[in-house]
Amino acid sequence: MTGQTATQKIIARAAGLERVGAGDYVTVTPDATVSMELNWPVQMADMKRTRITRLPRPDKAVIVVDHTTSAAMGSAHHVSHQRMRDFCAEQGITHFYGPGSGLRHLILLEKGIARPGVFVFGDEQNIASIGAVGALCIPISREVLVPLLTDETWVQVPRGARITLTGRLPFGVTGRDLAQAFLRDFGPTDKLLQCSVEFVGPGVSTLSLDDRQTVLSVLYHAGADTGLMAVDQVALDYVRARDAGRPWQVVQADDDADWHVEAAYDLSALEPMVTVPPEVHGGVPLSEVAGRRVTQATIGSCAGNRLDDMRAAAAILRGRRLADGVTMYITPGSREVYGAAAREGLLEVFSDAGATILAPGCTTCWGYHGQLADGEVCISTNQYNYAGRNGSRTAEIFLAGPYAVAAAAVAGRITDPREFLR
Amino acid sequence: MSGTLRRGRVWKFGDHVSGDDGIIDFAAVATGFGKAFDTEKLRRICFTLLRPEFPDQVQQGDIVVAGVNFGHHNHVDASVAMRVSGISVVIVESCESGLVRRALNVGLPIMTCPGITAAVADGEILEADPATGTIRTASGQTLQARPFSPRMLDIWQAGGVIELLEQEAVRRGEGAALPEPLLPGA
Repeated sequence: MTGQTATQKIIARAAGLERVGAGDYVTVTPDATVSMELNWPVQMADMKRTRITRLPRPDKAVIVVDHTTSAAMGSAHHVSHQRMRDFCAEQGITHFYGPGSGLRHLILLEKGIARPGVFVFGDEQNIASIGAVGALCIPISREVLVPLLTDETWVQVPRGARITLTGRLPFGVTGRDLAQAFLRDFGPTDKLLQCSVEFVGPGVSTLSLDDRQTVLSVLYHAGADTGLMAVDQVALDYVRARDAGRPWQVVQADDDADWHVEAAYDLSALEPMVTVPPEVHGGVPLSEVAGRRVTQATIGSCAGNRLDDMRAAAAILRGRRLADGVTMYITPGSREVYGAAAREGLLEVFSDAGATILAPGCTTCWGYHGQLADGEVCISTNQYNYAGRNGSRTAEIFLAGPYAVAAAAVAGRITDPREFLR
Repeated sequence: MSGTLRRGRVWKFGDHVSGDDGIIDFAAVATGFGKAFDTEKLRRICFTLLRPEFPDQVQQGDIVVAGVNFGHHNHVDASVAMRVSGISVVIVESCESGLVRRALNVGLPIMTCPGITAAVADGEILEADPATGTIRTASGQTLQARPFSPRMLDIWQAGGVIELLEQEAVRRGEGAALPEPLLPGA
């Protein structure tokens, strides 16, 4: 009998089974279920149709307002915010995080809900980022209402993909560059479809916990269901500081698990990348697009809004000003990140440089802020670059890491950020 | 249609058809967050980025066949668009798990069947049964996909996951009359 992946072991435990195999359909009881606000009115209408009036396990519900950081004039979001707050109070849900709290991806970790071996149903694929501490998110879109109402739903067990990391990122290169190289390699293929990607090897521990989250947050764009990383001392220290006595268990893959895909990356061989529109797998070495003029630069999104990203942006922006004609938005990913950035003086650096700091949330990544007009060119740490994602279909969106985005904002054109770091 | 066998005319698409920038232009409906689906608008834009004639010529019960990585980057609106266009089954070389879920949850079965694009041509008649996983082409060739689980069949035949929970509540005696379904016609 072959071994199991870490993902399969976590699913087996949540399904009450000894073992599960890739492709099996199993019914799973989650440890937590997370939902955001955009579909809330529809979900509440759906709940009425089911005649279920009480959540069986309000303690497992995590309800976060992260896409609409404040209700803008003319929007109906303030009503959603109010109804969510009231609903959580009625149902006894204590994990309610209102506007400006941050992304649920970060909150799950910061509040100690995502811990090693924990199974989470999430409403978005990018929440795979909680795999940085060995927690598993299975994304089920707005179907999260089902486990909220019934404490279970079905899962098809993902196939295993094992990515071995070695080496250490060179100067001026971040986890985001690894993410973009990964998407370049796997995005155009269908190799990772219906896979959970498990990162192992000595390179994992050389990445910061923030960089690990960034890499995991983009896996979906390569077609994978989800993913996680080997848990090291850094991850354990993070979890222990936040678990408040709640249980967890480090789960490791068996070496003889059935790996559908195996690949390796030498981190020391990576270089700054830029992903050209309109595909997320259009990553090229930054030097190939150097000189392209930009009109907007944004730092934020679940692939670029953690403290390391803020520090990287500040390293470039400190003592410099945005180029004429460039607008820059920077969005810390959570109140914890925002507060830490403030205490380190990073927000002052951003403001002095001429950037606009937005409240923690998804903001520019889905076009809630920072819409692009016809012909504009944006460089961003956001997740998407397809036509129309942030306004005009004729605007172009280049994706890059925080160093490259900040360097382009200062230079007014795409440029090698390492020139500003030396 | 009763039973689980579906028979329909094929709309064939290639590899790597995007969900949000292929099946639909998501930007055109993104303002609809938090509201009921604008089913008429979704029907009118379905596949028009790739086949402008699709909304006018698609018929109830037609089948979509597509290549690898079908519907990557999809919001549920892409699944709703196919469902309200009358598509009865989608059969693909490969696609992400999330698309299978989202489509099933609005009553549209997606079957994964490597080899399907080589076996059928656009406009041909095809038979598919999600319960058995069996797919039969006009020339009599049979292909085999993984059968849906019993729970997946329940969701599909109820017309969606919320519809299933609703019907189960009615069977438990909680509420007698079913209101109008969220989406028209199965």
